Amino acid sequence: MSDHYQVPETPAQENISFELNGAAVIRSVPGAGTLLDILRESGQITSARAGCRVGRCGACQVLLDGRAVPSCLVMAWQLPGHHVETVEGLNKDPDFLSVRDALASESALQCGYCTPGFAVSLVAGIRQRRQGSTVDLTESVAGNLCRCTGYGGLRRAIDQLSGPGCPDETDDRGVSLSEKQ
Amino acid sequence: MTPENSQGDVRNLVTLDGDAIRKATSGMDLAQRIEGRLAYATDQRHLSGLLYGAILRSACAHALITRVDISRALAMPGVHAVIKADDVPGLNRFGIVIRDQPVFCDERVRYEGDAIAAVAADTPEQARDALNAIDVDYQPLPVVSDATLAEQQPALHDSRETHGGSNLLARETLERGDLDDAFSRCAVIVEHHYQTPRQMHAFMETEGGVAIPDGKGGVLFRAGCQSGHRDAEQLADILGVAREQVTVESTATGGAFGGKDELTVQPAAGLLALKTGRPVMIHLDRFESCRTGMKRHPVAVKMTTGCDAGGRMLAHKAEAILDTGAYASLGPAVLENYLDHATAPLYRIEAYRVSGRLVYTNNGVCGAFRGFGGNQATFAVESQLDELARGLGIEPATLRRINLRSPGDAGSRNQTVRWTAPPACVLAAALDSPLWSRPDTDTGRWMTGTGMAMGAQGNGLGDGLPDSGGGRISLSPAGRICVEFGISDYGQNIVESIIRFVCKGVGCRETDVEVVLGRSRGPDSGPTSASRSTVLVHGVLASILPRWMDAVRGHAARVSGHPVKGLEFGPGGMFFDGQQVLSYGELAGSANLDEMAASASQNFPVAPDSGQPVGRYLQLQIATVARVAVDRLTGRVRVTDLHHVTAAGRVIYPPGYLGQIEGAAVMGQGMALTEDMTTHDGCYQADNLDQYLIPTFHDAPVQRVDVLDDTPEDDPYPVRGVGELGIEAVAPAITAAIEVATGVRVRRLPVDPGDLLVEMAAQEQNL
Amino acid sequence: MEPVNNEVTERQAVRVMRPESPRQAVSFAKRFRAPYMAGGTWLQPSCERSRQWPAQLVALNPDWPEFRGIQETEAGLSIGALTTLDELASHPLTELYLPQLNGLIKRVAGPGVRHLGTVGGNLLAGGDLSALALALDTDVTVVGGKGSNRQPLVRWLQDRPAGDLLRSVTVPDCRGWGVSLEKLGYRERFSPTRATVACVHDGYQVQLAVCGEGRPGRLMVTEAMLRDEGIRELTDLEIVVDSELETLGWHDPRLRLAVRRMLESGLMEVTRDA
Repeated sequence: MSDHYQVPETPAQENISFELNGAAVIRSVPGAGTLLDILRESGQITSARAGCRVGRCGACQVLLDGRAVPSCLVMAWQLPGHHVETVEGLNKDPDFLSVRDALASESALQCGYCTPGFAVSLVAGIRQRRQGSTVDLTESVAGNLCRCTGYGGLRRAIDQLSGPGCPDETDDRGVSLSEKQ
Repeated sequence: MTPENSQGDVRNLVTLDGDAIRKATSGMDLAQRIEGRLAYATDQRHLSGLLYGAILRSACAHALITRVDISRALAMPGVHAVIKADDVPGLNRFGIVIRDQPVFCDERVRYEGDAIAAVAADTPEQARDALNAIDVDYQPLPVVSDATLAEQQPALHDSRETHGGSNLLARETLERGDLDDAFSRCAVIVEHHYQTPRQMHAFMETEGGVAIPDGKGGVLFRAGCQSGHRDAEQLADILGVAREQVTVESTATGGAFGGKDELTVQPAAGLLALKTGRPVMIHLDRFESCRTGMKRHPVAVKMTTGCDAGGRMLAHKAEAILDTGAYASLGPAVLENYLDHATAPLYRIEAYRVSGRLVYTNNGVCGAFRGFGGNQATFAVESQLDELARGLGIEPATLRRINLRSPGDAGSRNQTVRWTAPPACVLAAALDSPLWSRPDTDTGRWMTGTGMAMGAQGNGLGDGLPDSGGGRISLSPAGRICVEFGISDYGQNIVESIIRFVCKGVGCRETDVEVVLGRSRGPDSGPTSASRSTVLVHGVLASILPRWMDAVRGHAARVSGHPVKGLEFGPGGMFFDGQQVLSYGELAGSANLDEMAASASQNFPVAPDSGQPVGRYLQLQIATVARVAVDRLTGRVRVTDLHHVTAAGRVIYPPGYLGQIEGAAVMGQGMALTEDMTTHDGCYQADNLDQYLIPTFHDAPVQRVDVLDDTPEDDPYPVRGVGELGIEAVAPAITAAIEVATGVRVRRLPVDPGDLLVEMAAQEQNL
Repeated sequence: MEPVNNEVTERQAVRVMRPESPRQAVSFAKRFRAPYMAGGTWLQPSCERSRQWPAQLVALNPDWPEFRGIQETEAGLSIGALTTLDELASHPLTELYLPQLNGLIKRVAGPGVRHLGTVGGNLLAGGDLSALALALDTDVTVVGGKGSNRQPLVRWLQDRPAGDLLRSVTVPDCRGWGVSLEKLGYRERFSPTRATVACVHDGYQVQLAVCGEGRPGRLMVTEAMLRDEGIRELTDLEIVVDSELETLGWHDPRLRLAVRRMLESGLMEVTRDA
């Protein structure tokens, strides 16, 4: 005998409230809509971009509760109770500024379309390493695609961010990457 | 000739390293891009009254259309307009070389990305929904899917445009000498088939832009594109308006690499904008971009090459078929460049005949893609050289050394060419690479090997095609030194190069300079392609800077009261005796701006002595040394290191030069190892980046780029455009390295790990 | 996962049902024939591609007891189906029971997707974890129409009543076992799988499983041969493995060759100290 539950009225469009860059926001959006669309709809957020819509390129990367995720795969209904950070909200964060300066000084970008996504991934990686993770900072960008640079400048920027005196204050030295594995 | 393997004799060799990069970037403002504040084509959402457009694409690779019914779509919520072929007021065709591609198909669709209709609606979702309500009746036609059989199949296009009403769009042969005689004198002849893939550009920002009607029958376009002026001409013809009524401002674009050379969303957006009287944005999602966008021409070639007992190359023959897909685009130009490179420009060959056939099929559409046919040919040519060396029992490097041209030689097509360093020096520097002395172990999981290849690349449109461009420099009302060119910024660091060049020439600082690119109302600099921008920009600026600086100095003298003789440009303004006496802003506010502007236009450099130029005059060279590791168990290939020796003139902006070589090289690695938009009966088998795999961070090798520059101080053309150079030799370098590691020579790209593994296993049996 | 419901719609019109309990979830799923949504990292790309969305989705709540997290139980290591791949990789119990899993998970999807994708989702999509799960004789605990039950994963994958909900998977106490895990992709990271191979040695016998372009499955015939006759000439083993793979739907002989070689290598690794 199956259970008979009262099925609640589930509209497609819902009021979704969550925290965005430190501010409480509420949006009336489709429950199955993407966080990426919510962010771009307002016109205020331009750092997260559509590159593929299947979570494979990283151009839409944002922080969800501090973890880097592709916003095109986060659905609206998953957001209440969580907080989202984009580059627009990180641009005074000291970790972001270290990342930004390293990317700029090593010319780690050309068209720049993928760059905010890389920056978000790197900020998350730095924070994790500060909390004791021993995972290499290069792993944090494994899901970010770049088509212009061949990743050379990004590699040099990550070396800078992993070297002595780096933001996450570990003693790891940037190992010459071609000697890995 | 410079002796090899002796570092001291290889002069002026500089490795582009971190210090050079950091020094060059220190004045540049890159924060805007990093923080995501730069507006790309599809960020223009704030336009009041903006509507969203969507394009209906063909459901078939080849069919007649017997009915297109838009009535249901017109009634859908949020829809403002639905248009199709008979709504095109002007010419319902576009294309850079041949205007054979319909804006909207009226009778026939020829690939699954062909456009049939378009909708403008309040939201993108409503536009998409309305597309689903457009009813199209198709009568499928047999699909032309095999390029080698295309000429025997019914023609896809009107006979006026093709050779005798077949699918042969173009054919060309380049020859020299008595080929049969030359072959008869060869001691070693090698013949092989080579195949290169239908690669996709995979720019991170897909095609998109906005069309804004001006209320007077004209339209302003802001889109990601490569040639604003040329696009404006085509768009005016499509919209049926006067040329002056169309303005194109190319926005900052998230990558192009040739894939935005043709019109993409602009025709549909413009027509919808005129129909609705509202601005219309169209942004293709990645699925649609994969299906409808440009690709690289796949090439199948049979090459036969022979040399005498002393290793001198005597005879060379190539028969190639290029699959251009449904429409011509830049196919004919790609064919020409393919053949040019198939003549093995770096080497002296007594006789050759290289011919190619460019055919129509229903396999997508192919057009401009970084390398432009050249790197496909170089893959085959360099592989042939390695085979010849093996047949003769000598080192591949030795065979090259025997046959490399000298700087004073004419080019392979008997044309005058201009190198920036002797090819022999490039080879010698490559042979000095530390990659050769890395230990290769025979045991263990990974089989390693080092290999190399060389390549040449020319700048400019070539072959005497009209190739000119202009630019303008002025002082803006806000006091910035404003430099304008018609080329587009799609992320190739051209902005930084211009800033750097101006700062060096003028003596100002980076923040004093404002660069404005890609406006069709501004100077026409020609297309942003063919690695021509740097040369053009440099040439124009070199010509206008002196007289502009004189004019500005004159005004500054009048305004400041100081004598002209002692006034100097400096950071922020004009200086006298080491002190700033006038800021640029003050100067702009108090003098006649029109008199502080200078423009010029130039022809792209071509060989001075020739009547009808052949090929390209300004030449670049690259030698790429590749180190690979191949998994003994599975045949999977990793590229661990790439070392490039480049001879491409003087470096203006080191990060830009380095970035272009590194980026192009990884693109070439993708073509070599994982990238191919395969088709089955005209339908693509991959439609997004989860199925079409480009290199990730962890796939990218460690790269080193050396610059070998022998350009004399007074050389009139000291700079070259390196946008395409990096892709030229990387694929054959990788396959050469794979052969060293595994004993297997791969001639079909991308390398299939399964096929490679089978060959490797066979080798194991033979041991 | 195709929408089992006949009704398809577009993303904006999908109704996301929020059941309060697992049993309520199962009821909704069965009544409306609606798919479950955990991380959505498999469902969304599939629906984006086809432009067809199920009319309803049943949202799963990771706060439901036993649905998320990893704990030691008498039966072995219990892993909640809604545990994310990243949580699995970084959990101290994973390091204790299956230290090799970390190396594999680094090659499963990308770091961002691993923060969203779940263990259950991966197994149900025939993802990379399937090979190891099958090789370890993993059990699953499922919430069905009549309450929850526990059964072998391999059985549940073959005959899965529509709407049954995966709550957790249990792997036996495999501390100290020989485990070899390898994924073969097309590129270094973030690649679709060509083949993932798992070899497990529990001290007595070897268990082998694969997943990837062919169907996921245990190589029972090969195991039996190894068990009964020990490791023989590799050529005999190759023939058995090859035909067993082909039966499992691995039609590309070149990929079978690669899988055979990976299996041989994995076997050597796990039996080396046996």
